[in-house]
Parts: sequence; structure tokens; C-alpha cells
Amino acid sequence: MQVKVVAAALAALMLMLGAHSTLRAQGNAADGARVLEGGWVRLDTSGSGSFGGLTANFARAALTPEGAAKIKPQRDPDDVDPDNRPHKAGEPYIVTQGRCGGFGPGGVEPNSAALFIIPTRDEVLITREGPGARHIFTDGREHPPLSRIPSAGLGHSTAKWENGDLVIDTVGLSEGGVTAGGWRTPETHLTERYHVEDDGTHMRITFTWTDPKIYAKPHSYSFQFERVPADGYAFENWCDSGDPLQRQSVVPPEQLP
Amino acid sequence: MKAGFLVVTFIAALSGIVSAQAPNARDISGYWELTYMDSQHVPRPQLVPRVTRAVLDAQAQKDFKAVRWCNILGMPAIMASPRPLDIRQSEKMIVIAAEINAATRYIYLNRTTHISKDIFDPTTNGDSIAKWEGDTLVVDTIGFDPNKGVTAIPGGGFRTANTHLVERYRLVNNGSLLSVRFTWTDPGVFRTPHTYEFRYARLPRDYEARLPLNCDPFDETRTAFLTARP
Repeated sequence: MQVKVVAAALAALMLMLGAHSTLRAQGNAADGARVLEGGWVRLDTSGSGSFGGLTANFARAALTPEGAAKIKPQRDPDDVDPDNRPHKAGEPYIVTQGRCGGFGPGGVEPNSAALFIIPTRDEVLITREGPGARHIFTDGREHPPLSRIPSAGLGHSTAKWENGDLVIDTVGLSEGGVTAGGWRTPETHLTERYHVEDDGTHMRITFTWTDPKIYAKPHSYSFQFERVPADGYAFENWCDSGDPLQRQSVVPPEQLP
Repeated sequence: MKAGFLVVTFIAALSGIVSAQAPNARDISGYWELTYMDSQHVPRPQLVPRVTRAVLDAQAQKDFKAVRWCNILGMPAIMASPRPLDIRQSEKMIVIAAEINAATRYIYLNRTTHISKDIFDPTTNGDSIAKWEGDTLVVDTIGFDPNKGVTAIPGGGFRTANTHLVERYRLVNNGSLLSVRFTWTDPGVFRTPHTYEFRYARLPRDYEARLPLNCDPFDETRTAFLTARP
């Protein structure tokens, strides 16, 4: 009888330790989720003032010979450049086909629009100001075989919480270019670490691409974000392929010295 | 014996802590699919006299243009999506992401008033705020753009800049169904509030969202299909 009680007590102790560990992990996740929740806007910390300028200072990817051989010039299929000549300040010109309604792998990397992060128990939803969303599974599921991941999408993402950071692992992205001279195939792993600074108002996302066939070492870079104010809200990104102005851009006016 | 019983009770209590995932009537997070047949029971609204056949036809033409050119659809089309909705609720907001060409809906739990009309640019989804009344989530929306997206409201009528929508979300059938009761008011469109209920079935937890249905405005075959007379 005494042996049974001792055995049961030991089992209880082990369960208690397990429970403590689980509860601590849940608390960790809850704390991380609480600070990460909400809207974030990417910062141009280098003061580049242009889309390409921000990433121009990132360390270039160290590629394997096989990886370097894969690199091909990339162009947004929606881009058009009918006359390929410089345009005067303020002169409108056509830059895209004005195609609305498409979604693609470009969505894993933030642009200048706000992104919104909604952590829940099973899933972290990451949205922007238009259609489409990233569904990040935090329920412990594994990635499916690559053959089951649609090639035109945002890949398949799972995540876990590490010391309050959200760490996302993605595979299944379509083949194409990666910021700062990188390349990806469906087999390439993208790890994103979402870390909210101690001030609670700034966040850093570190992207790390790993693929022994492509990279001689993991290819990393970070984006900085500022929290959307408490009274802020999501805009709505409007797109109308039937509007001729949708295709047009305007060269910015000359800046004062 | 008594000690053994206490230990077993202790273990059971701990197990309860670890696996405590009881359904929460105030959490509507999950994947939800419109119960299409059950949600067809939409009454015809009573329209004001100024909403003539010609007005309805003109509005239908605008809606057709939005579909033709793959504009984002907006409310209320997003809530009638033929694909599941991913609804996620956090402390400050509820987000509804669709697998169709509709902008994500943001419903704010941390605001009790709408964004000032002086600031808010009308959108296809409008400005939504919400609060819990018991186990019912009451969502209040204004700020619709009358010229963008698909404006048609189930049963009849359409949204305008003056439209006011109240939605009441409630989990039923032990959380397996989500009931949403829509009430539209607009003195320029409806003589009386127009109310109907949609029901959504909860999908299994292992459901994975698919890519949104693609819409190609330059697909000539599609355009021919849309513009052909049956």
C-alpha cells in the first residue's frame, strides 16, 4: 500500500513538473501574443526614402555555386515600361498593367503598408490592408509534403513562441528572388523571428533563409517596425483594373534643396 | 487508501489545468463556413419609394462593373463568401479574412466610438466597432463607400454612405455553429430595418485556408462569360 502511495506521489510530482513547464510555455506564449498583437508599420531606419533604398544596405547573400547559378533576373509580371526612358518631375506615365485580384509569395515580406498580427491559441493571423492573409499555425502541426503546398501561394507556415518571440518557419514558397541577392525554391526554409522591443512600441522581424543548396551560410536581414497608435486603424487598399489611373505613376516633384 | 485517493484527485486536477480548453462562448476564433442552404432564408426588405426599379438596375450595373474588374467586394459580400472565413479574435480586435477577393475586415473591440467622419475615408467594409452583451458580440458598422465593391444586400437593397449595419454574433449548438443576425438601416433605402440571419458551421481544427479565389480582369474568356446574354 505504501509503495503504491509513493509511486502515485512520484507520478504526481512528475505531472506537476510537466504542468509547470506547460503552463510556463503557455504563459510565455500569452505574454508574447499580448505584446505582438496589433498593427505595425515598417520604418525606413536608413532614411533612404525609396522602396529599394531600405534593402540596399542589407548584407548580400553568400551563395553556393549552385545557388549562384540559379539566380535569374526577376521582374514583377505586372510591371510594364512601354517607353523605357526617364520621366520629368510630375510627368505621369504607365508603370503596371493595373492587374487587381492576384495574390502571391511577395506577401511574406512586409512593404510600406501596415501589417496586423492577431495571435490566437491555434493560429497567428497576419493581414494587411487588402485581400489575403497569412495563416501561421501554432497548434504543433507539421508542414505537409511540398507537393501538397500550392506553388503560387504564401507557402506553409508553422510557428512557436521562444522567450516571448514568435518564430515562424515557412516552406513551399515558389521559386524566385529573395531580398539582398538571395534565391528561394519550395525546399528553402524561411525563418522569421518577431521580437517586440522592451518599449513595447517597436518590433524587429529578422528574416533568415536557409538552404544548403543555395546558401553558403544562412542569409539574414531585419526590418524595423513601429506600433500603430492605439487609436489607429487599418486602411483599405483599393484597386480597380478598370480605372486607367490604376496603371499610372507620377515621378515625384523635384525636391527643394 | 485515503492518501491514494487524494493523490489521484490531485493528478486529475492537474490534468485539468494542463488540458483546460473548455469552449468559451466569448471567443469566436476559428474557420467558419456559411451553411449555404440554411442561410437562404432572407426576407425581402421594404424599400422606400425612391428606390425604384431604375435605381436598383443602376446599382446592379455598378456592382457588375466591380465584379468585372476584380474590385475588392467588401460588405456584405464577404460574409456570403462561398469559401470559409478565418475569424480570429484577440484582446483589441476581431479580424475576418476571406478566401475571396475581399479586403480583410477589422472589427475593433478597443474603441467605443466610430472614427470621425472628418477623418475616416469610406471603405467597402466600413468602420466596425464591437462589444459583448452577455454571450452576444454586437458589431456596429458605418462608413461604407457607396461606389466601391459590391453594394447589394441579401434580400434586396444596397448600401450607401448613410447605411448603418448592426451584426449580432452568437455561438450556438455548443459552439459548432456561429449565428450572425444582420440588421441594415438606411432611411434612403429601407422603410424598416432589414434583418436576416446567416449561420456558419465550424470547420475542423486541422482545416487549412486555401489560396483566395483568383480574379483576372484581363481574362478574355471570363469577360466573355460575364458579358454574354444567356
